[in-house]
This record gives sequence, C-alpha cells and structure tokens, in this order.
Amino acid sequence: MDGAPDMCGLNGIYAYNVSASLPDRRELIATRDAMAARGPDGAGEWWSEDRRLGLGHRRLSIIDLSEGGSQPMTSVCGRYVVVFNGEIYNYPGIRIELERQGYAFQTHSDTEALLHLYARDGRDMVHRLRGMFAFVIWDNEARTAFLARDPYGIKPLYTANDGWTFRFASQVKALLAGGKVSRDPEPAGIVGFQIWGSVPEPFTLYRDIRALPAGHTQWVDEAGPREPKPYASIAQMFADGAAHPAPCDEINARVRSAALDSVSAHLLADVEVGVFLSAGVDSGALLGLMRDAGQKKIRAITLAFQEFQGTPEDEAPLAAQIAAQYGAEHIVRTVSEAEFQADLPLIMSAMDQPSIDGVNTWFVAKAAREAGLKVALSGLGGDEILAGYPSFRDLPRWVSLLRIPAAVPGLGVAARKVLSGLGFGSNNPKALGLLEYGGTYAGSYLLRRGLMLPHDLRNVLDPKTTASGLRRLGLLDRLRASITPMPASALSRVAALESANYMRNQLLRDADWAGMAHSLEIRTPLVDINLLKALSPVTPVLKLGAGKRALASAPVTKLPLTIVDRPKTGFGVPTGRWIAELSSVPNASKGAASRAWAREVVEQHVVAVDRERKSEIVVEEVATT
Amino acid sequence: MSRVLALVTDAYGGQGGIAQAARDVIGGLASNDAVEAIDVLPRHAPHETSNLPNKVRQHSPESGRISFVVKALRSAVTKRPDWVFCNHLYMAPLAAIVATLVRAKLIVQLHGIEIWKEPSPAQRKSLERANLILCVSRDTRARALTHCDLTPERAVVVNNTVDPRFAPGDRASARAKFGLRTEFVILIVGRLDAKERYKGHDLIIQAIADLPSFEERPVVFLIAGDGDDRKRIQHVAEAAGVADRTVFLGLVPNSDLPDLYRAADLFALPSTGEGFGIVYLEAMACGTPSLGLAAGGVSDALANGELGVLVAPDVEFALALRDAITSRPVDPVQLSAEVLARYGANSFTRRLASVLELMH
Repeated sequence: MDGAPDMCGLNGIYAYNVSASLPDRRELIATRDAMAARGPDGAGEWWSEDRRLGLGHRRLSIIDLSEGGSQPMTSVCGRYVVVFNGEIYNYPGIRIELERQGYAFQTHSDTEALLHLYARDGRDMVHRLRGMFAFVIWDNEARTAFLARDPYGIKPLYTANDGWTFRFASQVKALLAGGKVSRDPEPAGIVGFQIWGSVPEPFTLYRDIRALPAGHTQWVDEAGPREPKPYASIAQMFADGAAHPAPCDEINARVRSAALDSVSAHLLADVEVGVFLSAGVDSGALLGLMRDAGQKKIRAITLAFQEFQGTPEDEAPLAAQIAAQYGAEHIVRTVSEAEFQADLPLIMSAMDQPSIDGVNTWFVAKAAREAGLKVALSGLGGDEILAGYPSFRDLPRWVSLLRIPAAVPGLGVAARKVLSGLGFGSNNPKALGLLEYGGTYAGSYLLRRGLMLPHDLRNVLDPKTTASGLRRLGLLDRLRASITPMPASALSRVAALESANYMRNQLLRDADWAGMAHSLEIRTPLVDINLLKALSPVTPVLKLGAGKRALASAPVTKLPLTIVDRPKTGFGVPTGRWIAELSSVPNASKGAASRAWAREVVEQHVVAVDRERKSEIVVEEVATT
Repeated sequence: MSRVLALVTDAYGGQGGIAQAARDVIGGLASNDAVEAIDVLPRHAPHETSNLPNKVRQHSPESGRISFVVKALRSAVTKRPDWVFCNHLYMAPLAAIVATLVRAKLIVQLHGIEIWKEPSPAQRKSLERANLILCVSRDTRARALTHCDLTPERAVVVNNTVDPRFAPGDRASARAKFGLRTEFVILIVGRLDAKERYKGHDLIIQAIADLPSFEERPVVFLIAGDGDDRKRIQHVAEAAGVADRTVFLGLVPNSDLPDLYRAADLFALPSTGEGFGIVYLEAMACGTPSLGLAAGGVSDALANGELGVLVAPDVEFALALRDAITSRPVDPVQLSAEVLARYGANSFTRRLASVLELMH
C-alpha cells in the first residue's frame, strides 16, 4: 500500500449482450463524476478495444498524484484491469509472498497486489484478503468481470442489470446520475427502510439497482451477471466459534491479542491516523491500543452538544480523561442545533440511500477533516462482537419465555388484534407484536431493532407497496438467513444478527457516506475478519458486561473503571429532538422521534433525487444545444 | 446431455410472432450440443410440420385444456425431461407443475403484453420457480421483475430474431409487384383487431393528411393485415380525406412479405403494445428504414434509435413522421447488416447458448 488512504469511487459499464448498444462514454463519466466527493483529486477511465466495456475511477490521493497508483490499473501483461475502493491491510505480507514467487511490482499500491493475486489465484483470491474493499477486475482475454466485496460489507458496491448492459458503481446515486438506469421503485427497499431505518441489502429504493451483498463475489461474462456467490459468512464464523468456545480464563488474553493485532493492522498508513473518541469503552480501548501499537502522535476527536452539557449524555469530560490518560491531543467539537439545521441539506444530499442515522458520523468526520485528518479509527463493531448491546440480554430472554406460546398458530396475531382493539399499545406499537414475533431469534430481533412492525406499515405506505414489499423483502426469512448456520450459542446468534443487519445496513453504510462526504477514511478495527475469527470462540462465553471489561483492560494501561461502569449512552446526537422540533411533534418519545426523522429523510431523499433528476435534464439540454 | 420437453401454444406450422419465437428458441436449443432431444407438445393444430430441425419431434396438438394437461403430465413421466420449456405465461403454471414433478429445470419465455398486467398468483409463482426466464426485450424483463420476486440474474433478455429470408433485394421489381410507381410508400404490417387498437394506424392516417406528397411523390399508406377493425380504419381514412392514398392489402402471404417490405420507403408501426416487434426487424433486414414509438419493447427492436427512428412520448407524431420521410435515405445493405449483427440468426443462437450456461 502506498499508505495514502484510498478514498475512491469506482464504476463501469459492460454491454455484455450481443444485441446491446455500445456504452455511452458520457454516461460513464457522468456516473464517475457524480462520485467526485469520494475522490476529488484524480479521475481515470479505461475502455476495452471493442468499447463494450468501460471502467471509471475517482481517487483522492494525499501524498503523490504522480505515483503509479492511479486507476483503472492495468497489469503489465495487459490482460487484467482493476478498479478498487478500500484498503487491504495484509498487503505487505501478500506483496512479499508474491515477490518471492517472481511477481514484479511496478508501484507501491495494494491495487497492484490485487492484479497479481487474481492472476495467480483467480476467484479464490478473495480468501486471502484482510480489509475493507470493493473491486472489479476485468479479464481482457476471457472477457469476464469479477466483482468482490469484503465479508462485512464495509465498502459499498452497487450493480444494475437491464438485460443488455451491466453497470456498477460505489453509489446508488451515481448509477442514477448516468441517466440510463431505471428509477422504477423497489417495494422491498421502501418497506425495508420503513421497518429498519435503512435500506436492507441487497435492495435499494430502485428495482434495477442492487447491492452486491457483503462477502459475495459476482461473475459477469457474455451471458450476463451470474447470481452473486457467498465466499464468507459472518454466521458461519460465529457458528464455528460457538462450536469451540474459549475457556473463560482466556477471555482477556484473547481479546487483548486480537484487538492489538487488528489495531496495528489498521494503522498501516503513511499519513497520521486519528481516532473518534466517545466516553465508551470501544473507542477508549482503541486509543490505548494505538499507543501500545507504537503510534506516537495521536489526535482524538469527540463530539459535544450544548443540549447535553452537564448531563450524563455529555461525553466530553470523560473522553478528555481518556485522552489525557493516553497522552492524546484531544479535540472537542461542539455542534449546535443551528449547525445541524444548516448542514441538513448537505447531509441529505451526501446520504446515498436514506438512513435515519449517520448524523453523528457526519459531524465527527467533519471535525476530523477540520483538524486535517485523512484517516480515523472508529470503535464501530465493538458492541456486536463483544455483546455490548441490550439485545444480547433481551433476545435470549424473550425467546426462552415466548417460545412455547409463540408456537401456537395464530395466537400472536389474535393477541395483537385483541389488545390493539382494547387500546393497548398506542404508545409502544411494537409491544403488541411480542407474542407474534418474540418466540424466535429472527422475530425478536425484529422486535428489538425494527422501527415498526409489518402490521404498522399500513399507516405509512399504500397497501400495494406494503404487500408486494413485504413479500419481496421476506423479512423473517432474511433474518433467519443471517443466522444460518445457526450458532450453538445464544450470544453468538445475537452477534451474527447484529453484525449482518443493523451494523451492515445502517452503521457501516452511514460510516461510508458520512466519511466520504468529508473525504475522510474511517477504519474500523473492531470490524475485521481476523478479529472475528479470533474472537468468535469468545463471544459465546461472555457474561453480561464481560466483553467490554476485557476490551477495557486490553491496553497496557487499562481504561479506568469510571468508563467501564458507565451506563451505555451511545455516540448520541440530539437529532430526534431537533427533528421533532422541525416537524413540530410535541413531547416525542424516542421511537416517535426516530419515526418522524425517518419520514423527514424519505421526503428529503425523494426531493433530492427529484432535484438531481431535473438538473440532469437541464445538463442534457445544455449539452445537446 | 439434456432432454427437453417443450409445452407450447404453437410452434412448427403455427402463424404469428409467438409461434415464430417458439420455433426460434426450439431451433436454438436443437443446435446446442448440450441438448439431446426435444419433444414439442403444441396446444394448437399446425398447418404444416415439415422441415423440423434435427433432434426435434413435434407431437400432435391437444387443443382441449384437460387433454393437454394429461398429455403434458404423461409425456413428463415417460420422457423424463431435464428441462421443461414453456413459450407462454398462460401455460407456465402447468409447466411449473410438470417440471417439479420430474425435477426438471424450467425455462419460460415471456413476450410482452401478457406480463403488462399483474399475473395471477399461480403464474407469478411459476415464474418465481423458473430457472431461466427468456424475455424478448428489456421492457418485458423489467415488467416481470416488477410483478414477480425473481432472482434478477435468472431473467435474461434474448431478443427476438429475424428470419434470413428477410434480406435486401431488388426494390424496383418489388415495387412493380405491388403496382407501385413513384409513390412514397409508408407501410404498416399487423392485425386489424378491434380489441388491439394499439398498433397506431390512426396516427399515420392523421399524419399524412397534411402531407400529400414529398418531392413530388404522392405519400401513400399501405396497410397489410386484416381483421374486424378494418371498417373503422377505412372510415378514419375517409374522414381525414386520405382514403385515396390509403391502400388495404388484406392478409399478405408470408412468402410475399420480403418484397412488400422492399417495396416500402418507410416502415412505420407507431404501436404502444409491442413486447418487442419482430416486424421492425423484418423491415430493416430487408433494408427499409423503420419508425416506432419509444414504448414497450420497441426501444430494443430499434436499438434505442440507433437502427430506426424512435419517437419519444413527448414528440408530436406527425412531425416525427415528416422528419423520417424527409431524412436522408439509408443504405439498405448497411442497415440490414447492422440489424443482423444484433438480431440475426448467428447472434440469436450465440445469445441463447450463452444464457443456457446460466442453468448449470
């Protein structure tokens, strides 16, 4: 790796069908340049000789634009061409191995390693990679495209196939900006967003645009795209770990060694790596481990809100204590409601697909960028692998309590209808679904994380969209698939559910667009495939709070107990309150506030997409006159 | 090697686009090395069943619904097909049952308007069960994906192809054959069906009312095809004052069609109901420029406007037609070659063979 963060946008068009028209260069460029924020400094394109395939790439390079890392990158033999977004953290090891076998490197970039690795291992190459990535490799001889996305889905990759032509890009909006992809709606995406607050992959709001699912590869040749194939499964790894649980007395040592290894790997860069610091264990431990890994200068960014001052939700005082303990330079960035309101249109336009979250990441990324940072570590993922969420306590409890009554056919639905008829549940509509969904892990996860349940959709969507969306979404089947194979341990099941749903579709996606909007690369050492392999045997044996205690004691200088024992508040933002004020919802509960925010996001998103469409038309008109 | 059972509305000996498309697919399957034998069960009586491709056997038709079901099930059990091919959505539920019964893979062909409205639950489920859905256009595929929960990669576009007998030829003798002299000839080919008033005859009649001639050549409108809407169209032509320039040719025999296309200066079918529109290909393969509306599958047939004139919905039709008439003449040989490159028999066979790979 050249060490420069690879904040990139990639795209391509392949007219695979013999009857298809040749791709239009203007479309390739329009899609590519719609991702200018992802890579403002460099732009490249590459075309096959018959011009049936074009690749585009936008790059932000900090160190040296003249070096050979620019993309699309062609192998020396000319056979392979790659476009890549992300980081391969085990690049140095791969490079040494390849060089020993006689592969000559022309550049210092991990991009080139992908080309060599593909030439050597073909599609199996993905098993060798540790990192966050989305890439496409074109084989100019076989005339095939190979797409891959990292196991957790940290980096995005969207595809659109109309039966003639296959298109892909890092962003949904970029595909639309090309002007050739249908905007026909996808009811599953719309319903999924209403239920989860983010659009569950592989769906988007558009029928013809899909995410390449996390941990999948896809193969495209003259026949067209093949069905995406899984090569890594989070559920499988948790299941493997649960089959060989770690002895309890090894928890601390395993957590320390895995976390230190991951943090070290994620520091691979020749620019300064900062850290997002909250008052929680995850980010504090990362900071401590950065120190242990040998980083000298560390800057830590904390968000503060006037509304929270003097309340337990204010993270700044405790964060300052942690920063002081590890000798980091601490930057506290206070965000006011006025700034939020002013940034709201920018947030909406940076948001690639609607999300009810990401505002916190937007501001912390903004603060990091203001501080001149290009790369920052985030503690995202700690709650998932170390059983930090309340769901790790609630789900097993609900399931064991409700398994038997929920198995009685029709009882749950009947109970909901009766209680609802009696006026129960007007404050908390989800409570009515307890008996209907609480008996299984998939169902109780829906109860825990859903903003609303399927029967509430009639209040927000028309019956046709609801019916067809629910059918296509296959809500519970999809959840069940994310715990297949089913880990033997309850905690591992919850961990798999959280990792493959909320974290993947919401947290990681938000981190991508919110970071990219500020040209900041967010790295997540606690979302790492090696860490998962090492800790999946630990997850099942974690007693309440034990995971966080283990992480807190991972750095040589342990985190203070005041941090460890602090009740969880999350990396909070008073967004709910601000939005409630905006839409004048009085005394909004947390649930009602997020539903109001969801509506706001959808409306804004639709307006933004509409506006872009109009401006595209104007651009086209100008171009043709 | 795969054995194929084809449940079809009609195929060899059948009339019309659906039968043609079925023959094209069955012929493509027959020429595939992976296919051992194809048993074709048609629903309707054929006029002739000679010239079947190698490996293909067409059984006698069963027009009765129940007898067809019985025959299909019996054939499935005795023939033990690996693939079941079905050429129409209406038969897809039966094909799905047959395929499930013998654990065969299911291929369904979709044409166009049959999938424009929401399919019945049984039809939807049979498409969702299919291993491969051959859509004749991108539009047909998009509509199938809208109505059904399909794995998108299994819904593929295999556009219709065009018979090699449609090729450029002696245009002067073709004109003489239809008694044409110096006229500028606009041709439409299609059934005159009162229930299917989407072909757009009326649009052309209205448009030529203000366009009596072009470069001193009288503009005439040739209507090939017949049906119960003929009288009404005649009245429309009279009312528009173009009855003397509107010629009803009636049903034109298949063998005369290539010359008819060659005789025309412009083939125009401003239809809003085409799943693809093989007739555009036939006209262009004969070297005759073509015009259609950007609706349904016509965008494929006219290749986004790269092969013919594609009239956008917001453009006034009469103006578009006038532009097409007055535009520079095309080279018939070049137009035909471009059409064959995309939609000729070789391209079709190659495309079909490549999508069959998706079944493995």
